[in-house]
Amino acid sequence: MGEKVLEVISLRVYYDLPQGTVRAVDDVSLDVRRREVIGIAGESGSGKSTLALAITGLLRPPAKVVSGKVLFNGVDILRLSEDELRRIRGRKIGVIFQDPNTYLNPIYTSGFQVAEVFEAHRGIHAKKYLNEVVKLFRLVKIADPERRVYAYPHQLSGGMKQRVLISMAIAERPDLIVADEPTSALDVTIQSEIMDLLAEIREETNTSIVMITHDLALLFEVADRVAIMYAGKLVELGRASDLIKDPLHPYTKALLSILRYERKKKLTSIPGSIPSLINPPPGCRFHPRCPYAFSKCSKIEPKAVDIEGRLVACHLVGGSE
Amino acid sequence: MSLARYLIRRVVQVIPTFVGALFFMFILVRVLPGDPARLIAGPEALEEDVRRIRELLGLNKPLYVQFVDYMVSILRGDLGTSLKFGTPVINEILNRLPYTIALALVAESIALSVALPLGIISALRPRSKATYISSVISLTGSSVPIFWIALIFIYIFSVSLRILPSSGADSPRHIVLPSITLSLLLMGNLTRITRSAVIESLSSNHVLTALAKGLKYRVILIRHVLKNALIPIVTIMGIQIGSLLGGAIVTETVFAWPGIGSLLIDSIFYRDYPLIQGIILFIVLVFIVINIVVDVIYALIDPRIRDVLWRTS
Amino acid sequence: MEDELILRKVEEARKKRLKEMWSVFKNNRMAYLASYVLVAMYLMALVGIFITPYDPYDFDLSRARQAPSLSHPLGTDELGRDILSRIIAGAKYTLGISLMSVTIGALIGVMLGLISGYMGGLVDTVIQRAVDVALAFPTILLAIALIAALGQGVVSLIIAIAVSTFPVYARLVRGSVLQVINEDYIAVVKLLGKDPWYIMFKHVLPNITSPIIVQSTYYMGLAILLTSSLGFLGLGAPPPTPEWGSMIGSGRVYLFSSPHIVVSPGIFILVTALACNLVGDGLRDTLDPKSRMFIRRV
Repeated sequence: MGEKVLEVISLRVYYDLPQGTVRAVDDVSLDVRRREVIGIAGESGSGKSTLALAITGLLRPPAKVVSGKVLFNGVDILRLSEDELRRIRGRKIGVIFQDPNTYLNPIYTSGFQVAEVFEAHRGIHAKKYLNEVVKLFRLVKIADPERRVYAYPHQLSGGMKQRVLISMAIAERPDLIVADEPTSALDVTIQSEIMDLLAEIREETNTSIVMITHDLALLFEVADRVAIMYAGKLVELGRASDLIKDPLHPYTKALLSILRYERKKKLTSIPGSIPSLINPPPGCRFHPRCPYAFSKCSKIEPKAVDIEGRLVACHLVGGSE
Repeated sequence: MSLARYLIRRVVQVIPTFVGALFFMFILVRVLPGDPARLIAGPEALEEDVRRIRELLGLNKPLYVQFVDYMVSILRGDLGTSLKFGTPVINEILNRLPYTIALALVAESIALSVALPLGIISALRPRSKATYISSVISLTGSSVPIFWIALIFIYIFSVSLRILPSSGADSPRHIVLPSITLSLLLMGNLTRITRSAVIESLSSNHVLTALAKGLKYRVILIRHVLKNALIPIVTIMGIQIGSLLGGAIVTETVFAWPGIGSLLIDSIFYRDYPLIQGIILFIVLVFIVINIVVDVIYALIDPRIRDVLWRTS
Repeated sequence: MEDELILRKVEEARKKRLKEMWSVFKNNRMAYLASYVLVAMYLMALVGIFITPYDPYDFDLSRARQAPSLSHPLGTDELGRDILSRIIAGAKYTLGISLMSVTIGALIGVMLGLISGYMGGLVDTVIQRAVDVALAFPTILLAIALIAALGQGVVSLIIAIAVSTFPVYARLVRGSVLQVINEDYIAVVKLLGKDPWYIMFKHVLPNITSPIIVQSTYYMGLAILLTSSLGFLGLGAPPPTPEWGSMIGSGRVYLFSSPHIVVSPGIFILVTALACNLVGDGLRDTLDPKSRMFIRRV
């Protein structure tokens, strides 16, 4: 750990929709260090997926970067040309998407689709790289890899397809892997296998991993640091072990209590619902659902404060009580 | 291997339909007002001539026997004898078939060479002129009466400008107007479906994956967008064969193009019932066969379908 | 008392939805305009015979093939009849025949689809085979075959086109029936002893009303083109019926000298078919915007 692979600085990403402007990511800052696994947790609608797209340079209209920077190895990827971005994608930054069923093209073999990563960055048609793909498949523990490279996606199970996606992401040994809900579409038993695989990959390579999920329990098993997002804002960020023992933000507390109480992993039982991102509540966005809210919470947005390596955005913490 | 089995299965599936069509035509002819034997013999004939003709044609046998005879002769390729020409129906059909095939192929090619680029461009650049043109074509293609636009074309190009011939098939130039007219029929829906297929394909998730791999935009477009869009496009092409055949009938009539479409219409006015029946059955058979071919092409494009066949054979 | 209140609320909600749909439809300016055109055409069909400037059947060879002029705005045809009058009178035939055949075809198709889907078994198989046979013919070919057998005439025309259109409805409805029939609440209703037709009407039909309406509008356009094509080929209503397609067919010989005979009826056919398609698009966008499965010409 040490140097920063990725640095997100005051990023704002808005969507221009006919219904209004959706403030999906609203002034979020975080950093990812080498070899660390950082988890980004939040309910759906928290802005985490948009953040993932921004980090990987995959934002498309109507999404718009309003302000901020995303520094990858020191370079602001938001300011790069499409061509320069293309060279980074797949080679320096790998992406694992969430639904192996729709994120793989049904009319090409799985081996071919993985080989395309090599083609993109080394030239020469993909089919020449099938041997390398077999090695990759072995790495991600796909059984019988020599046969499986010729298999079409519909011939593979969900877990296998996800491993194919993972092998796509690690093919060129990227510096950073962004995994967007890598296990949501899978069975519980397969989920833990995939998580183990990701942990192994982290061990054996120098890759940093950004893991985005709504599944807290999973996160706390693998992540070094965890960031909690709510309604487009980053509300807490800190070491996983610290967060579990001593959550500071009320939202984090609520999440963890659900986790312990119900042993279920879905974030469903906090009273109230996620606010609209077009017209977020004034002040702290969590205040309508916060059991500790007081007058200041509905007027002034809390700024993120650094407390012993932990970032928290709450009026109750860090000097404004 | 499984492809062959699929083929056989499809053919077997289709047999009852074809027999049904045969039955339908058989009934239809019997519904005709008047006694076929008398019609054939002509108004001057004597009673015994009519009786002889009836025996000759087997019209006095019980209906089901007639039907079986009928089916057997169809299977042998014997579609009867033309009343007007006196020659076997099948010969008349085969003589004129190449003209219809030529017309159909040229018309389809024209339609594809306009609709595909137009559809693709208007999908990739939604605000361009291409979108406007494609909506206009799509709308007019499905609303314009072919026989009328054919006449308009004839007036403009044959009568006024005198640069293209209006009837017959004596030179390559003769195919120009009929095929353009026929292609208008197909262009409309083809453009529309191409456009929506490409739009649909563009927004699929696997395109995002392709982008994340760092592939070049052009490669992504061809491999992951266009090739996937082929499936619905082939679908519509298969469905349009019916319109193509039907449109050919009208187009050939207007342009006096010597194909089987104009032969059909002529034979109706000659009351040449064996010929009418033969042509209709022939067209139905061709239609059925083309549908099977389209299904096979599907299996070739989409590996998922190939596998379904694999597992169910 | 409470039931009444609830019923009234449901009624109000329904009316509100209908009003919303109408305003969405109105937004589509083309479709809105097109619907007015359609209404105008149908009005013409209904009252046409009373408002023709001349007698559409009165022929006089000395007036034949006159170009459009003040006294004959669309000119006269090959037998000296006023074309404008014939077009007005002909609307009844072209549009009426189309409307009737699509209506009959839809009714037959929907009935068959309901029976086929609900009864299943042998009845279903037989009906489906019949539909397969009908679909094995290109549309115009089936119509031609029927007319060749039944002879010329308005009735044959209607029967021919109705037979060409019923298969699509049968398939559509059967699909929906099969979907609904598997749902649990149908089993409950059956247990309660309700009559199957009741189930059919109350539960299946509402779901498929929109696709049927949209499909019918498209089929209207198709039927108009089909009717006029058959008329043009000489297979429609016999002369001197002023059906628009037949008018073009008889005037065709004089294309060189008097193109006006052919041009105006065709424009009317084009405009009406176009209007049907535009209204169909508008209805589709209003009722079921996600569905792009409707093909204007099969």
